[in-house]
Amino acid sequence: MSLAWKEMKKNKIRFLILGSIVFLISLLTFMISGLANGLSHDNAALIKDLPNGQFYMNEDADETYNLSRIDSNLQEKWLNGQEDAAALSIQMGFLNDKNEKQQSVAFVTSTESKWFENVKPGEVVLDRSMEDKGIKAGDVLTNNQFSGEFVVKGFVDQKKFSHAPVAFINIENYKEMYRVEEMQLIYVPGQDKAQEADGLQSFSKKQFLETIPSYSAEQMSLNMIVWFLVVISGMLFAIFFYMMNVQKIGLYGILKAIGLKTSALFKMMWTQMIFITGIALVLSAALSQGFNMIAPDGMPFTLTLETTIILSMVFLIIGFIGATLSGIQIKKIEPLQAIQQGEV
Amino acid sequence: MEFFTVNDIKKAFTNGEVREEILKGINISLKKGEITALVGASGSGKSTLLTIAAGLQPASEGQILFEGKNINAMNQEQIRKIRANKFGFVFQFAHLVPFLTVEEQLILMLDVSETKLTKQEQKREVNRILKLVGMDHRKKAYPSSLSGGEKQRVAFARAIIHKPMVLFADEPTASLDSKKSKEMMTLIRELTKTLNITTLMVTHDEEMLSYVDHIIKMSDGLILQTDESTAVHQVIS
Ligand SMILES: Nc1ncnc2c1ncn2[C@@H]1O[C@H](COP(=O)(O)OP(=O)(O)OP(=O)(O)O)[C@@H](O)[C@H]1O
Ligand SMILES: [Mg+2]
Repeated sequence: MSLAWKEMKKNKIRFLILGSIVFLISLLTFMISGLANGLSHDNAALIKDLPNGQFYMNEDADETYNLSRIDSNLQEKWLNGQEDAAALSIQMGFLNDKNEKQQSVAFVTSTESKWFENVKPGEVVLDRSMEDKGIKAGDVLTNNQFSGEFVVKGFVDQKKFSHAPVAFINIENYKEMYRVEEMQLIYVPGQDKAQEADGLQSFSKKQFLETIPSYSAEQMSLNMIVWFLVVISGMLFAIFFYMMNVQKIGLYGILKAIGLKTSALFKMMWTQMIFITGIALVLSAALSQGFNMIAPDGMPFTLTLETTIILSMVFLIIGFIGATLSGIQIKKIEPLQAIQQGEV
Repeated sequence: MEFFTVNDIKKAFTNGEVREEILKGINISLKKGEITALVGASGSGKSTLLTIAAGLQPASEGQILFEGKNINAMNQEQIRKIRANKFGFVFQFAHLVPFLTVEEQLILMLDVSETKLTKQEQKREVNRILKLVGMDHRKKAYPSSLSGGEKQRVAFARAIIHKPMVLFADEPTASLDSKKSKEMMTLIRELTKTLNITTLMVTHDEEMLSYVDHIIKMSDGLILQTDESTAVHQVIS
């Protein structure tokens, strides 16, 4: 006979409340974590969404892509034979729309590669968030450093750099605007081992992200938020299971007095804990995944299934530890206590 | 036949600095199938003695011999096994499991006591005992919907369903009125006799003494006197 099940059936409300608490806390954690990831993604989706590979910049650029100038002979030599490798440059700047309103963007240009938009001179491809600013395909945009005009050719999803929407432009236009001949970076996708030579310094994708000003600081804060939440939620779980067990000391005493093994009591507690937490986690995971799909474009929200599963596992483990720790008092309960306590 | 003896049991509690001797050397022996009552003033140590004899707490000194083995020297698991298989308990309050029906309370006891019965046999046994205590019509009821007397009868059924050898009862009628108390004692006497269960019980109620075989009077941690009771058997109709 399953005591665990019988008790849950009889005390539906109590277990429902416990389940709701687990549900709400885990939902909160999933949502905040989705927002934090979203923010982090928003910061540098242009780079984050690239496949793993190596980034190269000048050794004397002081790990700042803005200061890097890669000699064009060197660039040719390095790009030669590397499929999909690209030389690219990034500059923060502004585009003026037809109402002469300045829109801050990150100008990106690159040699031909499937990982970047390749546009003709006089054209621009924008991140889709610019659509919300009232810009449409065919609009004509200008830039103070550029003599010509940019015609908006189209939009692409999720291309952000340093929180600004990316504007892909042609290399020739870029060279005119910033009065440079050289590119800042070489990107070689799929390469996991760096080949440092010719005065170039290599960075993995992760390392390169960290050279973006504000990225690593922001990342650290966001991670802190999520892990604080996880730790505090875990403690809350443990406290709730503890309170539940304290309420049941009398019951455990009686069960012990009639001869139930302590291990049977632990099994009862674990079954209930895993059942309640399991259902609550499945619900909150489903809900947050659903939200992930319908989250409005303007709200940076990224919650991968993988993150959800990892967080769920962490919750289950913390809940289990919490329940077990509070269950240690079960071991200490004397059946006599329950009998002397009077009616339960 | 004496198969349960209490030999020179002493028990002391320490409250802070003070060490108080509650039991000061108790010797009793229970006779198979008979009911022995412990009486005495409040605080004389009756409950302490009963719970020590039942293996619910250890004595400071002395032996509890059951089937030739000293319970007082056993480990927790050995004592648990004896409690689950060979002993039954009734206390002042029924201490039923609040989320189990009357029927389930008894099935749980059968599960715990490792009586090797099939589901069908368990049900049959539960029905039989519930009929004996007059509770078969409330099989599906939860404890919260039972009266005090009904709860106590279920508790008694739970205490004997696994056919224990010894029944320990601490003021089993204390929460019942006079009429219900008599019914309960009649039931205890009748069933322990038919099932040949040896009973040690504590009572405050003079009236209940007419249902027992032996009376042990305690005072201040010692046995004052032991009487053969003038047990009446006519109550059973
Ligand atoms: N765990 C304990 N710690 C300290 N003192 C205790 C403990 N249990 C019992 N005592 C003391 O032992 C004495 C005897 O208690 P016990 O419960 O055995 O008396 P009793 O004869 O059953 O009394 P009553 O008729 O009122 O139930 C009392 O003075 C009580 O305060
Ligand atoms: Mg007492």
